[in-house]
Amino acid sequence: MKIITNRLWQVFLLVCCFVISTEIQAQDKIEKEESIREREVPHIATEWIYDAFEKIRKPKWYKEFSEVGYSFEAKFRYKNSFHSVEFDSLGLVQDVEIEIELKSLSTEIQSQILTYLNENYRDFKVNKLQIQYSGASDDLEDFFDEDAKDGILINFEMEFSGTDLSGDSRIWEGTFDQNGCFLGKRIVIVREMDNIIF
Amino acid sequence: MKRLAIVVVFLLFSTRCLGQSQVFYTGFFPEASFTKKLKNEDRINFKIENQNIFFDNRNPEGTNAKYTHYRTDIMAFYDWRLNATKSVALGVFHRFQDGSNRNRIIQQFALVQRQRNLRISHRFRTDQTFTKDEKVELRFRYRLALELPLNGASIDPGENYLVLSNEPIFSLQAQEFEIENRLIFTVGKLYKNNQKLEWSLDYRTDGFIQEGFRTRLWLRLGYFYSF
Repeated sequence: MKIITNRLWQVFLLVCCFVISTEIQAQDKIEKEESIREREVPHIATEWIYDAFEKIRKPKWYKEFSEVGYSFEAKFRYKNSFHSVEFDSLGLVQDVEIEIELKSLSTEIQSQILTYLNENYRDFKVNKLQIQYSGASDDLEDFFDEDAKDGILINFEMEFSGTDLSGDSRIWEGTFDQNGCFLGKRIVIVREMDNIIF
Repeated sequence: MKRLAIVVVFLLFSTRCLGQSQVFYTGFFPEASFTKKLKNEDRINFKIENQNIFFDNRNPEGTNAKYTHYRTDIMAFYDWRLNATKSVALGVFHRFQDGSNRNRIIQQFALVQRQRNLRISHRFRTDQTFTKDEKVELRFRYRLALELPLNGASIDPGENYLVLSNEPIFSLQAQEFEIENRLIFTVGKLYKNNQKLEWSLDYRTDGFIQEGFRTRLWLRLGYFYSF
């Protein structure tokens, strides 16, 4: 028994060494996002947020790294809805996403989206729906503080769990245009959960 | 859920916990878990756990602090994917413990709820334990775990996270019913290639119904590798 225990210890220590050595190699991360302070965000981005959303409470700021560079994102609640605003690395606004309920859309748009889901999935459940506004920085600012719709492109992004007609059961993110017509979809990768289920 | 919370709080702060005659021991608890994801997205998991006692108040006065190997558990699971967040698993388990080796078969259903920056896992298990010269022990366990990123809204490689979990365990052996509770506070770090290293404080209490109330406190070091 003691021999088995000692062997197990040796294996465990080797594994720990492996993890530590991997950490040293893992310094150049490919994709991640981190929480940052507002003072680390380009001034042009913070100025845009406080101009467009005048009564905003302090948003949470994130820096997102990808293979091609980095961007900034602000997340906050505004008028009881969860908002996220994406900025490029210079602080220029890219788009604004607001969480909404499916039933808050017009019956035509709802029907268009539900028709797509019913025709392409055996079963589905909507997890999250966002309306996405994109356009030039000035147009987006005018839209949010003056409700001017010129130059604004509207899409819907919907995360849903579903089983498609081939039997593939996944979490998907579907994009729909302003009329609810399907534009595209991608699979949402769920991070490995071995530590919380085994 | 509210009722469960009340039961857990009651179990943890029961006046029996304050009794002077209770058994208490503490030690170091390393564990390693290896999970292979198959082409059909089912998983095979192998896990090894090793409990070592550093302090035991059952030892004669003056020898409470003494290192002893307590037990080593090995287990393997086949986990069938139901969808992206739900799975069922079947496992086998063997315990090496002086004079008390045992075998167990385990059935599990697990589901994970994804919130904006939080993951909630629910794990339901039933198991049957076979020990020489003892009646079969039947158990039902439910573990609720909350996983929270410490850097940003999601956990990325190189970042730390917290896991808070609680698991009441109800057992029946030879017509005797017993309850155990495991409350675990974990700080973990996600590494590249789905590797995780977790430090935990694992507080276990049992013997609520039958004689012999015990508390055990383990310092756990866990390594998880999924490939």
